[in-house]
Amino acid sequence: MSEIAISVRGLHKSYGDFEAVRGVDLDVHEGEVYGLLGPNGAGKTTTLEILEGLRPRSSGTVSVLGFDPGSEAKRIKDRIGVCLQHTNLPDKMKVCEALELFAAFYTRNADRDKLLERLQLSDKKDAQYKTLSGGQKQRVALALALVNEPALLFLDEPTTGLDPQVRHEIHGIIQELKEDRRSILITTHYIEEAERLCDRVAIIDAGKIIESGTPREIQQRVLGHTAVEISTDQAMPLETLPERLRAEKYSMRDEGRTLSMQSESPAALIVELVRWTGECNLTLLDIHMKRPTLEDVFIELTGKRLRE
Amino acid sequence: MKPYLALIRSNLRLMVRDRAVLFFSFLFPLSFFFLFAQIFHASASGGAMSQVIAMVLIIGVLGNGFFGAGMRTVQDRETGVLRRFKVAPISAAPVIVASLVSGLAAYLPTVFLYLFFGNTIYHAPYPSHLGSLIVFISLGLVAFRAVGMIVASVVNSAQEAQIVIQILYLPMLLLSGATFPVSIMPLWVQTIAQFLPATYLFQGITSILLGGESIFKNLVSVFALLTTLAVCLLIGVKLFRWEKEEKIAKGAKWWILAVLAPFLLMGVYQTFTRQNIEKAKILERSSRRRGSALFQHVKIFVGDGGVIEDGAVLVKDEKIAEVFSTAPSDTQSLQANVIESSGKTLLPGLIDMRIHIGASPDVYRHLAAYLYSGITAVCNVDQSIREAASAEKYDGARLFSCEPAQARELSLSGAEAAYDFETGNPELLNRALLRQVGPADRIAATREATLKNRGHAATSTLPRANQSLFESFQSGATLIAASDAGNMLVLHGPTIQHELELWVKAGIPPAAALQAATYNAARALHADDRLGVIKKGYEATFILLDGDPLADISNLEHINAVYFRGGHINRSALFDQFKP
Repeated sequence: MSEIAISVRGLHKSYGDFEAVRGVDLDVHEGEVYGLLGPNGAGKTTTLEILEGLRPRSSGTVSVLGFDPGSEAKRIKDRIGVCLQHTNLPDKMKVCEALELFAAFYTRNADRDKLLERLQLSDKKDAQYKTLSGGQKQRVALALALVNEPALLFLDEPTTGLDPQVRHEIHGIIQELKEDRRSILITTHYIEEAERLCDRVAIIDAGKIIESGTPREIQQRVLGHTAVEISTDQAMPLETLPERLRAEKYSMRDEGRTLSMQSESPAALIVELVRWTGECNLTLLDIHMKRPTLEDVFIELTGKRLRE
Repeated sequence: MKPYLALIRSNLRLMVRDRAVLFFSFLFPLSFFFLFAQIFHASASGGAMSQVIAMVLIIGVLGNGFFGAGMRTVQDRETGVLRRFKVAPISAAPVIVASLVSGLAAYLPTVFLYLFFGNTIYHAPYPSHLGSLIVFISLGLVAFRAVGMIVASVVNSAQEAQIVIQILYLPMLLLSGATFPVSIMPLWVQTIAQFLPATYLFQGITSILLGGESIFKNLVSVFALLTTLAVCLLIGVKLFRWEKEEKIAKGAKWWILAVLAPFLLMGVYQTFTRQNIEKAKILERSSRRRGSALFQHVKIFVGDGGVIEDGAVLVKDEKIAEVFSTAPSDTQSLQANVIESSGKTLLPGLIDMRIHIGASPDVYRHLAAYLYSGITAVCNVDQSIREAASAEKYDGARLFSCEPAQARELSLSGAEAAYDFETGNPELLNRALLRQVGPADRIAATREATLKNRGHAATSTLPRANQSLFESFQSGATLIAASDAGNMLVLHGPTIQHELELWVKAGIPPAAALQAATYNAARALHADDRLGVIKKGYEATFILLDGDPLADISNLEHINAVYFRGGHINRSALFDQFKP
C-alpha cells in the first residue's frame, strides 16, 4: 500500500463569475508520476498553483504531503520542488549562484555538486544564465526544483516550447527522477509525453476531470478496442473468413490486399488471422497493431484537439 | 536570516556585474557633481560646495529609490525573474529588505566620494557631524527605496511605472530645494513642498551639512523618514507582486496614499507653523555666507583711522580672511570670486549708537531698512524691547540694547529734526535713500503730521549741538555717531548718512566722522573684537561704496553692496521678506 502524496476532493476555484476549476478530485500516490493533461485554459496551472500553496482555493479539501496549502503553504513550499512553465533568472547570475541562493530558502539541501552533475550542468556551473541554451536553462530550472531534495515535484509543462531533441533530453531526466521514487505531478499538453512518463493521467477540460487512470486503461475504456491490420500479396478471399471473425468490425483497402479489423482481444485476433492467411495460401507481408493514442481519446472525449 | 543574507549577497554580486548599475550609481552622479560644482563656482565657496553635495545626494537618493528599487522591481517582475522566488518558502520581506540593503551598499560609497572630492578639489570642509550625515542619508535612502518598492507594487506595467515614477520624481526633485533654493519660490510653492518627503530629506541633509547640526536637531525629518520606511515595509510586504499576471486590486492603488500620509500630516503641520520654511531661509542664508570673495584694487577705510589706497580684502566663510595693503597679483591661488573694485571704497558696516525702536512687528522691517542703508548694527535704548531680536529670522541689521544712561552720544540729526518738525518743514523726508527705504505710507503720514505744524515758531538747538560736537572733537574726546531715530522725521533707515553729513558741515573731518560710526561705536558696544574694523579674523560685515566718502561724505549714500557676516545682501529683495 503506497501512501498518498496529494489528495484533492471537490476542488473549486472561481475568479468572479468565471469558474476556472469546477470540482476536481484526484490522488497522487507516493512514488508515482501523475499527469494532468488538457488544453490551454483547462485549469491545469490553476490546480497546480493551488496545490503549491500559491493561490487560495474557493472550496474543497486539499492535502499535500499531509498539509493544507491554504493554511500551511510555507511548510509545503519548503518540501516540494517546482519547475515553472517559464523560469527566468537574472541575466548575469551564474548557475552555481542560483542554486546557492535558492538553497538558502529551504531547510533541507541537496548536494549541489551532485545535482549539477546529474543534470549535466557541471561544466556550466560558472556560466551566466543569459549564455545558456534553452535546454540548459530548462535543466537549471529542474535543478532549482531539486535543490531542497523534494519528496514531491510539480512540473508545469516542463517541455513546452523546447525543440524535440531537448524535449527528449528532459524526458530522460524526468525518467531518472521517477526511479528515485519521488512523487511527480506533471502537466502537459503533449500526449506522447504523458504516455511515456506517467503512471497515471487525468484528462482535464474546462475545469473538470473527464477521465483518469493509466494511459492504457483510459484508451481501452474510451475507445474499447485496438485495430489490427494485415497486408498480403494478393486480394484476400473474405468469404472464407471464419464465422467468428466476421462478427468484428472490419474494412478493406488496397484492392482487398489490406484488411483492418478492430477487437477487444487483439492478440487472439492476430493468431487467428495468421492461421487464416496460411490456410488461404497467401503470403503475409505486414502485420500491424494500432492502439488509439491519448490524442484520439481526448478528441473522442472533448471533440477538440489538445493543442487548440 | 539565511534568506536575507543570501539575497543581499546575490544582489550585490549582480550589481557589481551590471554596468548599467555602475554607471547610474557612480559615473552619472559624479559627473553631475562636477558639473554642478562648475556651475555654482564651488571652488570659491564652501557654502556652494555644500549646496552641490546636498543636491547630488538628493538626486542620488531619488534616482536610487525610484529607478533603482522601483523600476528594477517592475522589470524583474515583467521578465519573470520574481516568479521563481514566489514558489520558494519565503515572503516578500527578504526580497524587499535585501533590495533596501544592497541599494544602500551601492550608494554609500558615492557619499564618501562627494565629500572627498569636495574637500580635496574644492576645499570644502568635511561636515562636523559626519556620523549624523551618514545615518541620516542612509535612512533617507532606504526610505525612498521602500517608496520605490511600493510604487512597483501598485503599478501594472513598466509604462505605468514610468509615469508614476516621473510624477513623483520630478516635483520632488524640483521642489525639495535640491535644484533651486526653496526660499526663492513663491510661498504657495514652498507650502506644497512641505508635503513632499524629499523636502525633509533635503532639509535634513543641508542642516547637517551646512548648518553643522547633529541628527538629533533634525528629529522631525528623521521621524518623517522613519515613518515612511515603516509604513512602506508593512504595506510593501502585503502588496508585493511576483508576477505581472497578478493584477492589483483597484482599491489597492490608494495604499500609496497611506505611504504619503505621514507627509500629508507633516505638510499640514508645516503649513500652519511654517517652521520648515523659516528654517530653509536660515539655511539658505548661511549657505550664502559660506562664500569666498576677493575685493581687488579697493580703497579700504579700515575703521580705526587707517586707510589703504589700493588694497584687497579676502572674505572666506563669514570672516575677513586677509587684508592686503597692496592688491595681490596672483589671485588664482586664493580660490575666491574676484570682485574688481577699483574706484570703490570698502569700509566697516556703519553703526547707529542710539535709536528708539519699540516692540512691534515692524521691528524686523526697521532692521531691514538699516541693513539696506549699510547700517549693520544699531543700539536700541527703548526699554520695552529687551531681548535681542532673533536676527536669524529675517535679514536685517544686528540689534543691540543699551541702557539709556550710557547713550550720551551726540545726535545732530535729532536736533535738526526736532526743529524741522516743530516748524513744519518736511524737507528731510525728500532724501533719496530714505525714499528708497520707505515705506511710502509712513513717509506720507510723517509728512502730513509735520505739515500741521507749519508756521509755528521754535528755536533750533542745532547750532549749539554743532558747537558742542566740534568742541568735543577738539578736546580729543571719543566721538560716537548716533541718530536718535524713532523720533519724528528721523526715520529708521539711512540715519548715519545724514548724521555724518551734518558732522562734516559742523567741521568734523570725514575720517573722524566715519570712525565715530564704525570703530568707536563697536568699542562702545564691546564688540570691537569682531566688528567695526576691516582686519583679518574680523567678521566680514562691511559696505562697498561707489566713490570715496573721505573726499565727499555724501558718497555714503552711494552704496554698491552690503555684506553681512560674509554674505552678500540682496538689497532689492530685503523688503520682500515682509510681503504677506
